[in-house]
Amino acid sequence: MPHLDAMYNFALRLTNDEDDAQDLVQDTCMKAFRFIDSFEPGTYAKAWLFRILKNNFINDYRKKSRGPAKVEFEWVEQSFSGDEDQEPASHADLHAETVNEMLGDEITAAIQALPVDFRMIIILCDLEEFSYEEMARILDIPIGTVRSRLHRARAILKDSLAAYAKSKGYH
Amino acid sequence: MKKTCTHQPDCLKLIQRIIDREATPEEEAAFLANKEQCLPCQEGYELEQSLRKAIKSNCSSKCPETLFARIKAKLFVVLILISILIPLFC
Repeated sequence: MPHLDAMYNFALRLTNDEDDAQDLVQDTCMKAFRFIDSFEPGTYAKAWLFRILKNNFINDYRKKSRGPAKVEFEWVEQSFSGDEDQEPASHADLHAETVNEMLGDEITAAIQALPVDFRMIIILCDLEEFSYEEMARILDIPIGTVRSRLHRARAILKDSLAAYAKSKGYH
Repeated sequence: MKKTCTHQPDCLKLIQRIIDREATPEEEAAFLANKEQCLPCQEGYELEQSLRKAIKSNCSSKCPETLFARIKAKLFVVLILISILIPLFC
């Protein structure tokens, strides 16, 4: 089944729980089958499936999704506030070498600690490589908001990684 | 080489658009030419690339085989039901 790995991965990043992710993907597939008429031939099937999955998550799963995987990054969620269209605050000192030195689990934990809207857009863009236009359609937001949300999500992620790197003594 | 960049916030946005393949070829060419002369832009570009690479290599998971089997079975049941029920109502 095409896109199943990508859908499962997206669901897992959203719910932070393997069982919830499996249920979410299964529900998404059943809804896609039921509403197959809403698919416009010639458009990107993967984006259509991701849109159903996102709507399904927001309607049925968001309330019960689990918290961040690691305590060390919990402050990110707490420190986030304000209008996402505002310019992000200047981020802390972080270098490419530091990111390269970090362990996979540390990167994953930082992503999982992001507020869900930011986590969602980073996965859609950096992992699934959707275009800004496709992300706007998946998320039901204007393309300008895609840009600003992505920019802000990355700023928060860098802040988080920089603070973590400092606390762990990375160079 | 410049040690400070006077339009760093704009450069950062452009760097991200380049990495996201949303910048025009002209914008990309202009930035890449300027990057050689500007240390903050060079470091910013490398950092964004590293982040993208780290996310790509650490945030992927494969769908369990059991889930694939479950979905297939459920769709099969639905199809069987449809093929039984539709003739009854037509």
